[in-house]
Amino acid sequence: MRSDTILNDAARGSSDPRQRRPIPAWVATTALLLPTYGWLTLAVLLPLLTMFVFSFMSATPMGKTPIVFTLKHYRAFIDQPYLINIAWTSLVIGFWTTLLCAVFGFLAAVALARATVGRMRETLLVLLLLPFWTNGLVRVFSWTMVLRENGFLDGVVHMLLPDIGSVSFLYTRYAIVLGLVHGYLPYMILTCYIALSTIDDAIIEAAASLGARWWTILLRILLPLAAPGLISGAVLTFVPVIGSFMEPRILGGKVGVTMGTVIEDQFTQAFNWPLGAALSFTLLAVVLAIFATFSGVLRRGTTA
Amino acid sequence: MTEITRRNALKLMSATFIAGAAVSMLPKMAFSAGTITVLNWQGYGTDEAWSIKAFQEATGIEVVHDYYSSEAEMLTKLRTNPGTYDLVILNAARCAQAMAEDLISPIDYAKVPNIASVAANLRSNENFNKDGVGYAVPWVWGLTAVAMREGLPKADSYAVFGDPAYKGRVGLQDDAVGAIAAAALLTGQDMNNPKDLDLVKGTLKGFKPNVKLLWSTEDQWNKSFAAKEFDVAMYWSGGAVRSRRVSKLPVDFVVPKEGGIGWVDGLGIPVGAPNAEGAHAFANWMIDPKFYVEWATKAGAPASANTAAMESLPADDLSRQIHKPEYIANMSIMSALPDDRREAFNNLWQEVKAFYAE
Amino acid sequence: MRQLGRIYLLAILFFLYTPILVMMAMGFNESQLYELPFRFSTRWYVALMDNQQLLKAGMNSIIIAVITAVIATCLGTMASIALSRRTFRGKSLLQLLLLPPIAIPWLITGTAMLVFFYWSGIGRGMHALLIGHVALAIPYVVLVVGTGFNTIRADLEEAAMSLGSTPIHAFFAVTLPLLFPSILGAALFAFAVSLDQFVISYFLATPGYSTLPVQIYSAIRKGFTPEINAISTLLLLGSMAAILIFARFAKPGDVSDKR
Repeated sequence: MRSDTILNDAARGSSDPRQRRPIPAWVATTALLLPTYGWLTLAVLLPLLTMFVFSFMSATPMGKTPIVFTLKHYRAFIDQPYLINIAWTSLVIGFWTTLLCAVFGFLAAVALARATVGRMRETLLVLLLLPFWTNGLVRVFSWTMVLRENGFLDGVVHMLLPDIGSVSFLYTRYAIVLGLVHGYLPYMILTCYIALSTIDDAIIEAAASLGARWWTILLRILLPLAAPGLISGAVLTFVPVIGSFMEPRILGGKVGVTMGTVIEDQFTQAFNWPLGAALSFTLLAVVLAIFATFSGVLRRGTTA
Repeated sequence: MTEITRRNALKLMSATFIAGAAVSMLPKMAFSAGTITVLNWQGYGTDEAWSIKAFQEATGIEVVHDYYSSEAEMLTKLRTNPGTYDLVILNAARCAQAMAEDLISPIDYAKVPNIASVAANLRSNENFNKDGVGYAVPWVWGLTAVAMREGLPKADSYAVFGDPAYKGRVGLQDDAVGAIAAAALLTGQDMNNPKDLDLVKGTLKGFKPNVKLLWSTEDQWNKSFAAKEFDVAMYWSGGAVRSRRVSKLPVDFVVPKEGGIGWVDGLGIPVGAPNAEGAHAFANWMIDPKFYVEWATKAGAPASANTAAMESLPADDLSRQIHKPEYIANMSIMSALPDDRREAFNNLWQEVKAFYAE
Repeated sequence: MRQLGRIYLLAILFFLYTPILVMMAMGFNESQLYELPFRFSTRWYVALMDNQQLLKAGMNSIIIAVITAVIATCLGTMASIALSRRTFRGKSLLQLLLLPPIAIPWLITGTAMLVFFYWSGIGRGMHALLIGHVALAIPYVVLVVGTGFNTIRADLEEAAMSLGSTPIHAFFAVTLPLLFPSILGAALFAFAVSLDQFVISYFLATPGYSTLPVQIYSAIRKGFTPEINAISTLLLLGSMAAILIFARFAKPGDVSDKR
């Protein structure tokens, strides 16, 4: 048993003759955090801070146009009311993607943790994560091959039901959500699996022997235990999906207008970095607000 | 509100950031005298492998590429990489901006002998010149107009995008300037400065039932057309040649009675180019009839700015048939837009796209 | 129940691999425009073998992804220890700071880096590329490893320490083995983030240096050929083989052992 060796190791640790003065806690904490946050500050946070400053300027400060500080880009939602609809679309797409990922990912993690063992489980886990190792653009592009009229999906369906019309749904919001779920599901599976993998079998056996039905076990035991995984998974899904532009653009066609594509256009076509930056920081604020509310609810839920 | 100049803002920020930056390494690119770095779209003439090889054999100069995927990005790369690039490909509409910002330097035409046969109209294009000094070698030109599936009745107007006969069969270009230009021409306005933007907006919104796709790359255009997703679309003249010749697609290119949306690309030499000498030589190579004929017939190209090069093409060549010489004199050419107009164009197009998406 | 779980997993696998199988199939399709019906051909693999640029870009991508995964996993795990096991002021703020790199689209982060690296003198090149890739991978590592921390019991470490083990020793003897699956998962994600990242490479690489995603991204203007499918297929099969071999021999983190 592994726990025995742990105790042995610990015992050996205690008999270590070298006497060390304990390192002050704050030194250790700083030493652990500094490399990561130093790196993040230099490479991401300071550059983004620059962008944040840009978002208050009247024009991209790279040309010769005189720069004036202004709040007008943060008024975009008032000046251009159609942006509100677009933002709503993005949030709805993000919500559905996260929900679908959570349901399918949680169940997959449960199946992985409860229905498989040993080598089979390892192999399956690796297989579930590997699609991630292909380029996102190539994956999205392959979905267009599947979904378009007379594509692979139509081919398979017509083999079974030759009389039915085209079932193609490329260039719809469903296609966007499908592509996004496909792209982010592995995150959710992994984080839920990590949370579930430490559950003691005894708890579930005890519940089962007390006559709990399988769905009671699923909802009352496994779901709360998977909560940390579901939360990280939701962060890793919802947050990037809101700003995604590749999937909406390629799978959504003309309906693929989201905050992500509007922001991308500001950087590639319009050369209006300040507006693009202002829109993405607004979006970031909305995302943070949603999570703040959400985590407040969660905390109350767990203490109640 | 505080008025600050770009220089001050730059100084302030760089001071703060240099202080904050722990790592300060300045990588110096050690290029031999025999190398030039070209900044261009990928797969757009300058990086044809056979041509680079022949050029190196002829001059001993090696050509290295860096790419951009939007014109805004091209300007950003020029600004943030002084002394890196020797030659840059810029659209006339962006050239004026690059000139105004001192990003590109005057061309020494004595080192570009092929300039002699370049169409005078293109050479004197106001976007390529400042105070009588030329800042770019006109390279290629082309048109954005209408492409249709072979066998359909040829449209004579941009109104075809709103024709009920093509419900759900139209592909528009996802480009604010291009879309607005088409609608402006259709409503009889100056495409570079339409007076009635509401009319333009209404016209574009009217295309909604027909619009199937907003395409942004040639790749997307070809694949969607091949999958029969649309029958009528805005398209580039050079792209139409390539689609027909390379991809064997049944495309007809039509210039409507309102006229095509013309554009010219030039070759500019960035300020501080490490090998301006080599860049001049390569610019000359790029407008040489020998290079052009091979490029146009092997791959498919827009029209060369060099009339002699166009005349060297076989008479029945597709590119020569599409790019009629008289267009140079009478087509409207996309030119520089002031910032506020560009912003208005982009906001208009976003609004139209949001309307399409509803 | 067990049977149902396995069938469900197979269905999920089928969904995840649908576009991958299509991608592989189209690499063997004759048509350059990915047209159907399918006609078998190996011409794109033949073309790929001659395409030095693409092969080299693929190689560069793998090298950068491996370095990124190693650095990001080490740094991220360290930060995760502090964030999960220590209490200090400003912790929530630090956790919050992990979100902007994920939330702000890469295009904007990339542009911001290009401008900032230019102004601060970091410049372009391999070092800039790595700084960017690692920074974008770190938040994913911290979040994934943090999930692992949240689910293993701190009392095991405390037990070890109460028996006289130093914190560091307790960590290596007790916590690390339990954390192994999360760390491995985090490393796989860091690798994937780097492998998928084109914006940073596109803006920060020296001219002439290229990675696979950059090749793919800049090829979409003119058209990418099934050679891209061919190299993606080879890359995926190669990594699949490498991981499965690794899993067979290393065999760590088998959670069924720990009870």
